[in-house]
Amino acid sequence: MQTAADLWGLLERSGHPITKALAASVPRPADSHGGPGVVDTHGTTVIAVKYDRGVINVGDRRATANFAVMYDKAEKVLPIDDYTLLAISGSFARAMEVVRYLRTAFKLYERTYLQEMSLEGKLAELAKVVRAGIPEALQGIGGFIPILTTFDRDAGEGRIFFYDGMGARFESAEFGAAGSGSLQIRGVFDYIVKTKKPFHAMSRDEALKEALYLLDIAADLDAATGGWAKVLPLATTITAEGIEDVAESDLRRVVAEIDAASGERIAPRR
Amino acid sequence: MFTPYDYNEAIGHRKDAIDERLREGSPVVGLAYEGGLLLLTVRRAQRKIYEIYDRQMFSAIGMQADVENIRLAVIQQAHQEGFERSPDDVSLQRLVGFYLSPALKKAFGDQWQGVPFVIRALFAEVGRGKAGDVFYTLNYDGEFRQSAGAAVIAGTQSAEDRMLERIGEPETALTREEALNTALLAWSVGAREALKTRRKADRDDYDEINPLRDLDESEADRVFLRDELKTGTVEAAVLERRGARESRFRLLGKDDLAAITREHR
Repeated sequence: MQTAADLWGLLERSGHPITKALAASVPRPADSHGGPGVVDTHGTTVIAVKYDRGVINVGDRRATANFAVMYDKAEKVLPIDDYTLLAISGSFARAMEVVRYLRTAFKLYERTYLQEMSLEGKLAELAKVVRAGIPEALQGIGGFIPILTTFDRDAGEGRIFFYDGMGARFESAEFGAAGSGSLQIRGVFDYIVKTKKPFHAMSRDEALKEALYLLDIAADLDAATGGWAKVLPLATTITAEGIEDVAESDLRRVVAEIDAASGERIAPRR
Repeated sequence: MFTPYDYNEAIGHRKDAIDERLREGSPVVGLAYEGGLLLLTVRRAQRKIYEIYDRQMFSAIGMQADVENIRLAVIQQAHQEGFERSPDDVSLQRLVGFYLSPALKKAFGDQWQGVPFVIRALFAEVGRGKAGDVFYTLNYDGEFRQSAGAAVIAGTQSAEDRMLERIGEPETALTREEALNTALLAWSVGAREALKTRRKADRDDYDEINPLRDLDESEADRVFLRDELKTGTVEAAVLERRGARESRFRLLGKDDLAAITREHR
């Protein structure tokens, strides 16, 4: 008998493209300035850090294709169930399909078997879809890297998992980041933990402020990451009570504090 | 030689055999209330009301394996549709009318290979506004009926008729509490009627041995329900129109049902 709650199997049988790698003949973009080929819009930097009541995710709003800004109101931190967020970086097209896939797969499982899929099961499902995208990623399109954050109701704490392009999964004790600006800020996380305090001991507003500082640095050092001069970033928390967006007024307040502390945004001409 | 007469006779036999098996099924009541839709039944052991998709739920009487097969099939179809198109494209009209009904009809009518399903199902779908609320009842032969406000399934036609009579003109301004109460009373009328039909079929002297024979009808209903609740459990679920989650289904817990079970104990 077929497995009842196997969405992947259903989609394979119906021929849905999410389950199929593109043929090797798909033309590859000629160079990074954009030549012939497929436009593959990318999400840039996403950050997740723990705090005393759970996890907070922060992302800028920019989506780019080569050197073009495709969209400046992108949402890159997306709920996949009541207690789980997926922060996405890399190919938007693939990542959005994966978010929809996971939402549907988790619901299908729960409604079929009348119990929620375990955290391990959800992590494995995400690894499977990352892996399925490898042939495309090798051709230079469709690659994406997710960060999965959740509130573990058994352990009573937030948890952060990050992936590589092959689908390997790692758990982080304090923080995670992905996307084009993430490499530039990697050491800053460690600096904060070593000189201030671990993220999991911070209040929400402390953690939010550090995460926004990190995003600001990423925007300074990475051409593709958007700052907040034009559009506010988005921040979302997961706690024992579930997922909640940080209110715009809170974001505005913290962003204003950072701006004030950083001095003049536009340096005087020499 | 195979004649049209044989066909009619064969279908008739099938119908009788399935009706016989359905007769004792615990009825299910669907009612609209101010905040959405509810389904209610009284069960012995197995859970009977299930979520299908974000805005759809279902319950059925019949053979457990058949109910489970239909449940899994419709959940699968809904999720595949919800992913390949969008959650907005998942509707009972499509699921019942275009997916389940033809399959049931085929299984019922195919005398050579098909094994007919023993099932009678009640589906509910909550809309964005009251006008979008809908119930579907689906029979083992693929026949389905759409209704608004109220719908019931029971083991016999007469039980269903009496239940709908008891509910009367559906009133959508009911509170959830009022709707649960109306649904439970309708359930009790249907369950008692189905039982009566069976006992009458079993024994000619049923009217004499019926323990409730000296009570007037409403009193008899009350005593019957009280006895049923000693051995059975009220199960009810709602689809709530307003909610932050995509999924509008909620199985009501002990606290939600405390008031109505207390009232009829």
